[in-house]
Amino acid sequence: MVFMRTVLIIAGREILRLRARFNTKMLAAVIILLVMVAVISFFILRQGAVMVKDLYIIGVSPSAPRLDDPRFNIIRADPREGIRLLNDGQLDVYLTGTALFSRQDDRSQYAVGAVKSHLLKSELERIGIEYPLNRAFPLRVELNYLKTSAAAGNRSASLTLADILESSSRVREQNGQPGASAVQPLNPAEHERENSITQAVRPSPTDEQISRQLADLQSGNILPQFKAQFAGDKQVVIPSLMNPPIPLAQVLLAFAYILPIFFISIFFTGSFIEEKMARKINVLLSAPVTPFQVIIGKMLPYIGYSLLIVIFITLILKGNLLLSLAIFLPVILFIFSIYLGVALQYRSYRDQTFFSLVAVTGITAYLVFPAMFVGISDLSYISPLTLAVQMYRGIPITVYQYLLSAVPMTLIFVLAITLGTRVFNEEYLLSFRPLYIKIREAVFLAMDKHRIAASVAVFSLLLIPVVFILELATITVCINLPRPLALGLCIFICVLIEEIAKSLTVVVSIERGLVRKWTAVIWLAVVSAFSFFAGEKLLLFMSLKVISESVFTTAIFAGNLLWLPLIAHAVCTLTVCLVTYRTGIRGYPLALLAGSLIHGAYNLSLLGVLR
Amino acid sequence: MKSFFSIVIREIKSLRKEKTILFAILIQFFIASFSSVILLGIMVYYDPSSIGHNARVSLNVGVLGDSRSRFVNFLESSNHRVFVFNEPDKAESAFKAGKLDTIVFIPDADSNPNEMKIVLPDMDAQATLVLMLLKEPLERYEDFLRQQQGVFVRYQDVTGKPFTTNEFFYTIILPVLMLFPAFIAGSMVIDSICEEIENKTLDTLLSTPISLNRITSAKIIAALVVGLLQGILWLILLGANGFIIHNPVTILLLATLITAIISTLALIVALNFRDRERSQFIYSLLILLLFSLSYFLNPSPFSLIARLATGDPWMNYMYLLVYLAAAALLAVVPPLISKRLMRG
Repeated sequence: MVFMRTVLIIAGREILRLRARFNTKMLAAVIILLVMVAVISFFILRQGAVMVKDLYIIGVSPSAPRLDDPRFNIIRADPREGIRLLNDGQLDVYLTGTALFSRQDDRSQYAVGAVKSHLLKSELERIGIEYPLNRAFPLRVELNYLKTSAAAGNRSASLTLADILESSSRVREQNGQPGASAVQPLNPAEHERENSITQAVRPSPTDEQISRQLADLQSGNILPQFKAQFAGDKQVVIPSLMNPPIPLAQVLLAFAYILPIFFISIFFTGSFIEEKMARKINVLLSAPVTPFQVIIGKMLPYIGYSLLIVIFITLILKGNLLLSLAIFLPVILFIFSIYLGVALQYRSYRDQTFFSLVAVTGITAYLVFPAMFVGISDLSYISPLTLAVQMYRGIPITVYQYLLSAVPMTLIFVLAITLGTRVFNEEYLLSFRPLYIKIREAVFLAMDKHRIAASVAVFSLLLIPVVFILELATITVCINLPRPLALGLCIFICVLIEEIAKSLTVVVSIERGLVRKWTAVIWLAVVSAFSFFAGEKLLLFMSLKVISESVFTTAIFAGNLLWLPLIAHAVCTLTVCLVTYRTGIRGYPLALLAGSLIHGAYNLSLLGVLR
Repeated sequence: MKSFFSIVIREIKSLRKEKTILFAILIQFFIASFSSVILLGIMVYYDPSSIGHNARVSLNVGVLGDSRSRFVNFLESSNHRVFVFNEPDKAESAFKAGKLDTIVFIPDADSNPNEMKIVLPDMDAQATLVLMLLKEPLERYEDFLRQQQGVFVRYQDVTGKPFTTNEFFYTIILPVLMLFPAFIAGSMVIDSICEEIENKTLDTLLSTPISLNRITSAKIIAALVVGLLQGILWLILLGANGFIIHNPVTILLLATLITAIISTLALIVALNFRDRERSQFIYSLLILLLFSLSYFLNPSPFSLIARLATGDPWMNYMYLLVYLAAAALLAVVPPLISKRLMRG
């Protein structure tokens, strides 16, 4: 009770501080700016967002078709003048009623591509008006989805190909149009004539969809309906009118839910840094409150505001409120744990701004990139945005899918709070030292000096989600590169991250004199390796399908064998720790390199690259 | 003047001391080093149909129904491999085993409308890829059927290059990269001013012969120098990735003018609110507003950068004067309000 009351008092004080910030002038400025942004965005959306106007310079003769596109800078010229301007490089293309003139250079050819695309769009509109839809758009393509052995999709459930083929013939029969296997007519010629007449008169059941797609084409509506859908479920498309299914939902969800939380975090980090700079933190530390109460108390209002935003956005987007809160609470905790790190580590504003920018980029990448693999790999469930997309599609979320997304983020929050409470002292918070020294100092402060082995084990376990997130980011970046380079770079970076995570506490123990004998170093290295291995296997258990799908993850999370990976972890960690023990802290980079090379070689041999 | 430059140098030195800026530049370097590769990835969001142009992938297509259809020829001429099946079960087994990327059921060509069925893998990104790769042969087949109905679409034979990737780079990627340093510069100015105010070091500085205007101008100049260096780095790295950027000096000049405008606005915000939290919050909203408002400008900063970079011969350099005038006009504001605001 007393604990919670203290937390609530600190939270209340934080709200008062924030209220003082939002005085009348500030509130007026915020409201005016928000209203202006909303109004302008509305007008931009109504006009259709074209970022750059007059990009292509198009010469047109009086007889040329109309080019109504803001990307085109239209120059009127008679053919003689037009051709001269084109040859002088003053025009990108010259268009008459019957021909389109261009040069061979890239600039002109890109302009030709853009003009062609525009003209074809106008032509499709024209034939849609001039001819019956069956003649103008004679090909209708029904898109169906079927599970493959590797697919993790949910649309097709237990559908078979026979179901897909049958369903349409059933629909056709219901609409009076027999399928291909219908009874042969007695008099084929007469049937054909009759059929052609009925076809000309009777509209096709898919005509309505075609009319809608034509209307979309005319209105320039290329954005998908926001229901977190990429490709519609079983839809009929016309190839020439087909709007590509844009996998945009994750990005939109990220902007809608995450961006406001980033705005709130400005005030959260600001609160810490202000107290540090004004040395008010000393007063807090001398009061009868624990660091844990201070951190939680300061964080609580901002977590509350973030949850309110999640509720607000979910209500607007008509999502499931409880599910949204369950999905986004770990995200909020994750974001605030990162920003807690930023606030505790840095003392100057500029330092904080740059580090916050890096944090924003990292967090956004972590949330958006894995979600791009929705349906391809269960790897995507590491991002809660995948769950959000699934929620908006009305697809159920399993407990394991939720745990895979929520557990790493929550563990990072636990780690951040643990570290935060341990380093919450005047000397640490107000000192100016390089980042790597401050990290080592934080680890030392966080360790229980009487139970070193236990501290090493807990740290290795808690660092697994951090390692997982960093490795995931590495895979995402490396996957863009050519295969041999990607594999090599990815494995090297990932093993380096793992070796740092496993050896950090042992190396700090060596540096600070907590262990002096080489036997103790070996013991701690083995404990760390075993703990990391156990945590890794727990993660493997949660994401079994993920591990078996990717060539990268196979190597990084080291397969299904039990003893071999454990021995490999132990050998590599021992190498790093013993080399550091021999050479001192200055030799740590060299020790890391040695351990990483052994680890990398082991991973490559697992992949069959090294034999 | 000497005192002015000593403040500029002090600002830049203080940045150099902080390792995070080096970290940020390293990230920038890393992204730009792979920009051409990453661009293709981002293009999927901008225009998924670009997959068809950029990816030289051939699909394994299982065909059911009319295997003599012209569509089969169109598939083959687009370098896709066609496997004809008579029984759906076998096609389904091959699809589920991953031997086929898609299954197409082709009805007889004389059925009107021709109702084709395509079976795609139940995986969003792969389904998108398959569909985009099938788009071209499908369009050709649609046009073939259309011509059989006596309907002709003009301009089909016009050639030209696929323009979307090029357009995306010049109209979005490049302007965003060139204007991002401006955003950072504004943020830096707020941090710097607020730090001086909150640490009371500004009072100390003001007790010397240096005026408040000199101090604020020096901070803006320092932010401009950092922004300019970042812009130069971007252009070099993009050039190394094979992107042709015309008028680089003019683009840098424009970016610097915009940085000056944004930094001055940031300065006004900082002098007004005097604490980092509120100033950064208002500044972020202001940037959002300016970005939206710039859409209505013609040419907007995005348009100007894109048109300069593509070597637009009709580019009127007088437009730059507009930005110069705006920067000059804004530069007058802080001296007018600073003393009053500082007193408040």
